[in-house]
Amino acid sequence: MTDAPRRFDTRDIARIAVFAAIIAALGLIGPIPVGPVPITAQTLGVILAGMVLGAWRGAAAVAVFLALVAVGLPLLSGGHGGAGVFVGVTAGYLFGWIPGAFVTGLIAHSGRGRLSWWRVALGGVVGGILVVYALGIPVASLVAKLPLDAVMIGNLAFIPGDLAKIAIATALTMTLWKAYPPVFGARRERALAARTAPAAADATDASAR
Amino acid sequence: MIALYLPGRSILHRAPAGVKLLALLALALLISLWPHTGVTIALAGLVVVALYAFALLPPVVLLRQLWLAKWIVVLMVVTQLVFLTPWDALVNTVRVVSIVLLAALLTLTTRSEELLAALETGMRPLARLGADPRRIGLTLSLAISMLPVVAGIAERVRDAQRARGVRLGFRIVVPVLVLALRHADDVADALSARGAD
Repeated sequence: MTDAPRRFDTRDIARIAVFAAIIAALGLIGPIPVGPVPITAQTLGVILAGMVLGAWRGAAAVAVFLALVAVGLPLLSGGHGGAGVFVGVTAGYLFGWIPGAFVTGLIAHSGRGRLSWWRVALGGVVGGILVVYALGIPVASLVAKLPLDAVMIGNLAFIPGDLAKIAIATALTMTLWKAYPPVFGARRERALAARTAPAAADATDASAR
Repeated sequence: MIALYLPGRSILHRAPAGVKLLALLALALLISLWPHTGVTIALAGLVVVALYAFALLPPVVLLRQLWLAKWIVVLMVVTQLVFLTPWDALVNTVRVVSIVLLAALLTLTTRSEELLAALETGMRPLARLGADPRRIGLTLSLAISMLPVVAGIAERVRDAQRARGVRLGFRIVVPVLVLALRHADDVADALSARGAD
């Protein structure tokens, strides 16, 4: 159930844009030092974009955020930005965020009806950790000319923080499913329409606003 | 808007953004793929320093960029010394840092708007694949206009929760998300009403 769009409508565009801004705003929090590894909330935003907006719109929101970073806005956690971050050691992780958000959304929004928390969390683990690392580790190893397994071991330090972020993102997504249903769009409407008449769906929509 | 751009009147500042972008790509590829000896890596470093001088940027700017790259240097030197010879570690570190400094030079000498316009031009061939460069441009500029809005919402919610003595945590994100998404839907309605579809 990817709902692959032929083109994004105005509502999609506005949500993609606002999620790019949310990812940027999360970069203002932290970095929070947990043990020796600083944890930034920025990847939380990336995972959240996939979980809430779904595969296509989520990946688009991340791509828009990265484009703004590339043209010189200091939006990465710690006020970094500019073309430099896309040629550095961590470039692969940044590029990996796009397919990462896509896969997160694909798995999180699979199935029918209500969003299930375990699918959302699984999407976060596969998209937010596996896919991002699958791009980040080889690129880091190539750029730094380091053996692959060395980079991989270094990455283990980030896993606990990533899991914590996925837990938080899952909780936020499940809360948002109740707090602001319109953002889940067609899926939420279908979940409602399965049970109620269109007029009732409208009323639910209005009361949610 | 706070950008990393530093105004100036040098040739590098005045060159078209697209040309600078392509030159950066070419130089970065050259420096990263060249099998470096001591002479060529020193040359790469010198070219970068010379380009900063050419852009008429004060030396403190270059030093600040080096300082921003400090974590790359620490990470590279420490990990490389474990697996490679000190000489290789030095060559690899200079290689990566000089490419990062080159890319930073593009950011320092080019306005964000010009780079956005160059990106839009570069995406024109994608129109054949069904992408609409104008809609992509609209999304990018919408996102820029929403940066201060979302930051403002976050500030307001934080103040409100602090005033009620709520302990701050990730719970604060929920009202921020709802308000931001509602704002996005209002903007979409306004755009549709003006026929932007």
